[in-house]
Amino acid sequence: MTRNNHISIRQLLIGACTAGALLFTSACAQNSTFGSGTSGESSSSSVAIAVMYPETGQYAEYGKMFKQGLDLGVKQVNADGGVQGKKLELKYFDTQSDPKQTAAIAPKIAADKSVVAVVGDYSSGASMAASPTFQQAKLVHYGFNNSASDFTSTGDYVWTPQFSQAVFQKQNAELVAQKAKKIAAVYIENDWGKSAYAEFKKEAKKLGISIVYESSYLADSTDLSPILIPARDAKPDAVVHIGYGPDGALVVNTLRDKLGYTGLFYGGQITQEYIKLSGSNGEGTRLIGPFTPDSTNPNAAKFVKAFRAAYKTDPGEFNQTSYASIIDLAYGMNKTSATREGVEKALKTVDDFPCYVGTKTTFKFNQSTRRMDSTSFLKLELTDGKFQITD
Amino acid sequence: MVDTLITGFMHGNAYAIVALGMSLIFGVSNVANFAHAAVFGMGMMIAWWLGSVLGLGIVPTIILVALITGLIGLLLNTLVISPLQNRPSVAALLATIGVGMILDNTSQMIFGTETRSFPELLPSHNIEFLGVRIGTSDIVMLLLTVAIMAGMAAFLKYGKMGQAIRATAQDTQAAKQVGIPVKRIQNISFVIASALAGVAGIFVGMFNSNVSPTSGSSVGMTAFIAATIGGLGSMPGAVVGGLTLGIVEALGVYSFGDGAHDLITFGALIVILLVRPNGLFGKKQVLHEPMTGSFSGGAKPYRIPKWLGPILIVAALVAPFLASDYFSSVGIQIMIYAMAAMGLTMVSGSAGQVALGQAGPIALGAYTSAILVGQLHASFLVGVLCGGLVAAIFSSIITFPVWKLSGHYIAIATIGVGSITVALIRVFEPITKGSLGITGIPFPQLFGFTLFTPQLQYVLVLAFLLIELLIITKIRKSHLGKTIESIGNDPVASESIGIRTSAYKALAFAIAAFFAGIAGALMAHQYTYIDPSMFPFATSSLVLTIAVLGGLSSPVGTILGAIVLVGAPELLRFMSGGRIIVYGVLLILIIIFRPQGLFAKKE
Repeated sequence: MTRNNHISIRQLLIGACTAGALLFTSACAQNSTFGSGTSGESSSSSVAIAVMYPETGQYAEYGKMFKQGLDLGVKQVNADGGVQGKKLELKYFDTQSDPKQTAAIAPKIAADKSVVAVVGDYSSGASMAASPTFQQAKLVHYGFNNSASDFTSTGDYVWTPQFSQAVFQKQNAELVAQKAKKIAAVYIENDWGKSAYAEFKKEAKKLGISIVYESSYLADSTDLSPILIPARDAKPDAVVHIGYGPDGALVVNTLRDKLGYTGLFYGGQITQEYIKLSGSNGEGTRLIGPFTPDSTNPNAAKFVKAFRAAYKTDPGEFNQTSYASIIDLAYGMNKTSATREGVEKALKTVDDFPCYVGTKTTFKFNQSTRRMDSTSFLKLELTDGKFQITD
Repeated sequence: MVDTLITGFMHGNAYAIVALGMSLIFGVSNVANFAHAAVFGMGMMIAWWLGSVLGLGIVPTIILVALITGLIGLLLNTLVISPLQNRPSVAALLATIGVGMILDNTSQMIFGTETRSFPELLPSHNIEFLGVRIGTSDIVMLLLTVAIMAGMAAFLKYGKMGQAIRATAQDTQAAKQVGIPVKRIQNISFVIASALAGVAGIFVGMFNSNVSPTSGSSVGMTAFIAATIGGLGSMPGAVVGGLTLGIVEALGVYSFGDGAHDLITFGALIVILLVRPNGLFGKKQVLHEPMTGSFSGGAKPYRIPKWLGPILIVAALVAPFLASDYFSSVGIQIMIYAMAAMGLTMVSGSAGQVALGQAGPIALGAYTSAILVGQLHASFLVGVLCGGLVAAIFSSIITFPVWKLSGHYIAIATIGVGSITVALIRVFEPITKGSLGITGIPFPQLFGFTLFTPQLQYVLVLAFLLIELLIITKIRKSHLGKTIESIGNDPVASESIGIRTSAYKALAFAIAAFFAGIAGALMAHQYTYIDPSMFPFATSSLVLTIAVLGGLSSPVGTILGAIVLVGAPELLRFMSGGRIIVYGVLLILIIIFRPQGLFAKKE
């Protein structure tokens, strides 16, 4: 009897707490979240850029790098007088880079009149699930990390400052061809890796490189020996990797530590993560890159200095692209107006956006692909723990 | 070739050492512990911290990690598993998924998100052996695996405590009556298994060399498959299962490339279960009581009064036009997931069979409609209906052999079915565009009119949802529905009166897959872009959780479940970083304190 009472009271209490918490959250949400779109009405003194990014979840590391770059960008814009005299703000939305969440949050962003442009998300899938909403709202979606070949196909309000893989992989293949005629290639199995490798393969063939082994790998595979053993046994002049930092480090560590491969290695990624994870095995890694902390590009050098001052560490590619996206949009708006129309007009008309990648100092958009027009990249080699420019 | 075998063997050993703990817990508490992978990942990260930040050596690291993860195991059992003891096993299964979420996110918050190098606590690449280099660490891990396996087996068989553990596993009530302190026994087995998971984390960390807070989950899932292949509850089975899977994966990937990885792993699972339905070393399960048991049987859905139904429908219809677009878009997500989950009231509710692979039919529906409407210019409605049909037919074909299995084996086999479906979509590149994904899927179009706004799409999805609700309610009330329910309530009795239980289970699953396919098709036309990475295991577990939370006996309940589970991450948005942890806690609380589901009362 007492026992039963005890249980039912405890159940009652916790049940009530749960219900209370639910009610409380939905009540909060009613006021702030699902309000009839009046929240964030544009105040005359500031404008905002909305950021969809993975603050939590499996891509949180990239979210962190984005935030560093974005915060620095907005700080500088405001220090230089803001946009058209108004203060620039960032409105962050954690999406875990999950399409279910970006699709849900997109109308909230579109309805916020203070938002003049949207940047993000990390993955193409998450970005593209939100694009249609922005397209309809005539709100520019500036996917600074979305290099997938179809990303801008949703409509004319979807843009990306990413260069096309066709341009990038052509120069990548040229770099490989300088030293290798016979290669084994591995690439990450996702939309980006697949299309990047297809472009690379096309260009490599044109240059007379023979590919003696190729395989994709899944991003969450933890042992890549079964594909790297046949890659090694094919006796290539070089192993080419197309993917990201952590998996690039896994590839080069497995090749060198486990399989005793001593030949050339092309790939990896220009991040501190790759440099740290690959350690001495990574030394001699070659790749072409849009950006390195030692870039000779004057814009990039200025950015690196500011980044080091703010975070006491060297910036990587993700810091740079996110930073540049804010600078681009602010630069554009200062030439047109600090409105949604202003952003769109700027991307269509401005032809001297500050360029942080490669060797050029300005860039414009290719109006048919809505991407950065062709550019040149840096030839890099990892020496003494740093990606350094070679020839 | 020999070198591939060696690396496969070593990788398999990493699976084996994780699988041992999973099998121990299953043997003692009959819980498929999905949190084990997270405990293992936590052990890996703690070891990284002790080894590289504090610079401790291998011995103090092992002791400290075992202590901390052992404590986590104790908390896991006392706070979450024990309260669910007399409940159907699906309750504990879902609760451990919630615990896994909490642990993974806590680990990320404590240790940061980046991938880092694991300290070389023992030399890792110092022995050259037939074309590959292995290390002292690998050898020690292998010896440890064998020692743990032999030690556990002997302990369970001959030790006094071990015998008590086994007695508890066989019959908790009887064990209590002969004076065995059952609670303490179960606590001890969780402590041992979790400490083992932590120690496994140290060695797998050295094997992988690069680790992050999320790397536990991918190894953990494969280790689960290994434990299942070996036979759940069997110590030698866990080891043989792990080694077999490691070697099969290595040879398969060597021959077909890593793109086919999931196909090989889950293909091996299904094939082995078909030949040996209880795994390589598993004992034949005599009882095959339905996993969802009283989740449905002991509960009755609330009835919505006749006058209230129309009011609710009108309210749902009008709401989007009064609120913001954001309300509509969140509403669409909620309704799509409710549609995908509602069919499970037939499979997991009536037929009593847990299905953890619904991402498969959802993906099939999405792809079918995307291709038909987007590329072959079929009309929207035709695309959506075909999406449902293709999902039902293909899922039924792939799942058909699974119904011969019993208990947890069906649940785990359905995970395989979901993953195989998505892996096949990835491989059939000429039709599906593989990993590249399909872009430019048109918005829903009815009678030449495109539904551009979120409000109109909301109304469309609402219409589909109500039609599904009507059909499923009708089926549940019909003769067919009662027959399926009888299978869930008493499979032996139904077979004895001539009902072919596996055929009816397959039929119930086909119905659920049909509606999941329709939900997937609607999803595709809303996102306008799909790729295989959008249908992970997390989608499957979310769909099942929605059905369970709402009340497996209640189709209306799934809508409520979806409001809580799909809506909550949006509602909790104001709390930023910790929201997934709060979400996990909320999930566990509801499972513990509302076992019959939100929209049902106990009988």
